[in-house]
Amino acid sequence: MFLIFQRLWQVNWAEQWQYRANLIMYLLYWLVSPIIYLAVWTSIASSKGDVNGFTVNDFVTYYMVLLIADQITSNIVIFTMGYKIQDGTLSGELIRPIHPMLTNALVNNIAFKALTITGLIPVWIVLFFLFKPDFSTVTLTGILLSIPVMICAFFINYLISASITSIAFWTTRVYSINEFYWALILLFSGQFVPLSLMPKVIQEIAQYLPFQLLMYFPIQVILGNLSRPQIIQGYVMAGIWLLLALALFNWVWRNGVRRFSAVGA
Amino acid sequence: MSPITIHAENLSKTYQVPEREGGFGAAVQSFFKRKYNDVKAVQQVNFEIEQGEVVGFLGPNGAGKTTTLKMLSGLLHPTEGTANVLGFTPWELKPEYLRSMTLVMGQRNRLSWDIPAADSFLLNQAIYRLPDDEYKETYKELDELLELEPLMKKPVRNLSLGERMKCEIAAGLLHRPKVLFLDEPTIGLDITGQARIREFLREYNKRTGATILLTSHYMADVTALCERIIIIHHGQLKYDGGIADLSRKIAPFKLIGVRLAEVDSHDLTKYGTPVQNEEDWEKQYIQVKAEDVTRVTSGLLADLPIHDITITDPPIEDVIERAFNE
Repeated sequence: MFLIFQRLWQVNWAEQWQYRANLIMYLLYWLVSPIIYLAVWTSIASSKGDVNGFTVNDFVTYYMVLLIADQITSNIVIFTMGYKIQDGTLSGELIRPIHPMLTNALVNNIAFKALTITGLIPVWIVLFFLFKPDFSTVTLTGILLSIPVMICAFFINYLISASITSIAFWTTRVYSINEFYWALILLFSGQFVPLSLMPKVIQEIAQYLPFQLLMYFPIQVILGNLSRPQIIQGYVMAGIWLLLALALFNWVWRNGVRRFSAVGA
Repeated sequence: MSPITIHAENLSKTYQVPEREGGFGAAVQSFFKRKYNDVKAVQQVNFEIEQGEVVGFLGPNGAGKTTTLKMLSGLLHPTEGTANVLGFTPWELKPEYLRSMTLVMGQRNRLSWDIPAADSFLLNQAIYRLPDDEYKETYKELDELLELEPLMKKPVRNLSLGERMKCEIAAGLLHRPKVLFLDEPTIGLDITGQARIREFLREYNKRTGATILLTSHYMADVTALCERIIIIHHGQLKYDGGIADLSRKIAPFKLIGVRLAEVDSHDLTKYGTPVQNEEDWEKQYIQVKAEDVTRVTSGLLADLPIHDITITDPPIEDVIERAFNE
């Protein structure tokens, strides 16, 4: 099994390098909106002194960590697999004795991330010298505690995205459904605005949703803004959502493949 | 008698195809209520194939060949009926089943477009859990027969059609499958390429005792490889038996193609039945009985200003179409 992943990695890594220009476009697309939010919120904060207690430095540190969390937890499975289901090229992968979504597509996404994270490094350094953030609240414990959560969040997001992609077995409208999912992420992950600045009701709802695990929760863990019970609650939510996402994906995939084979590719 | 490898019983597949007229009104209407048409792609097909047999699967476009291959390889659930291949029900897609068969269909199946075939081969080695020595031995054999080595290091997208097909077939055989489903394995290849693939398949069958079911447009593929053929037409099994018996049935016809010195077409109906040949617009074709070929040819040469004349066997599709529509 290890060899399979190793070879999948070699293939997908080589493939990603074939699309360097494409990769840079993706990265820019992915970085533009957080950086805009960063710029907007810091200028609001600096004109008013603070926004509900959030200072300029709070916004800068929040969004600079968000850039990293976003790169780690996001995926592009809808773009790499959606069309294969629609045009039937999935056939070739279905008759291989490995799971298309949980092996090849997964490794493909991870190879993609490895490259975009590398691309993020210089951008991040430039931002660092531009905004000179004060990261004094960050501790090593905070960073170490955030890593399992982000990995878990990556898989939750990946499984939900793979489930949405699998809706392509039934309809060609998967991309609009995915847009809706991304809108939910934008709103409830703390990307658009840090969740603690949202109305109380939304904060209440958001803490039980998986989206905050992608960005808001790990950011706050890293920045050392959470109490021990809050961290434990986040971990529990991550565990529960991982199981739910796994169950959801399994169900959608199984029925999808059955439908694929019923209607023909 | 060898054990039965492939068994199909009442195998049937009906597709539901959405149907609508062109135009805006119809588009709106179909948004609310879709009309479906039942298309019976395969109907009640029965056959058994023994281990080590090479069977040609023939029929015109849309006859149901590919649908049947897809059901046997596990990509499609049948609407009715059952199939058993190597003791497995194909559409359960059990990994043990997938490891013991191969489906070669089209050119973009097992090879990743952007990287050299060598990398895809190594990936397949891992996926099918092939020990190094076994993999190397199989690769060496495949290389001997197909001359793969010069193709291995180029990105697949830069290979020619024929080169890609060779690599695709080799990739599908690295795990030494016991059953091979080949959908048009020689399509797009030149004569040498076709012959080489044929030679290779014959050799592979001999060496490994694998069972092969292949579809082809080229009669030569079938006559060279298969002792037995199965003909399917409009989804129904029309013929299952030796190739010699069938050729007696189809032998009576030959195609005569003529290119005339003058551009305007002459009426050839008095020499034989005119037929369309979409691949060759320059010539006019007529179909005649085999025993009349000499007489008709000399007649044509005497009567008309002929630039070029060819006498060929009719394409397999026409033969089958004709054999079963009459």
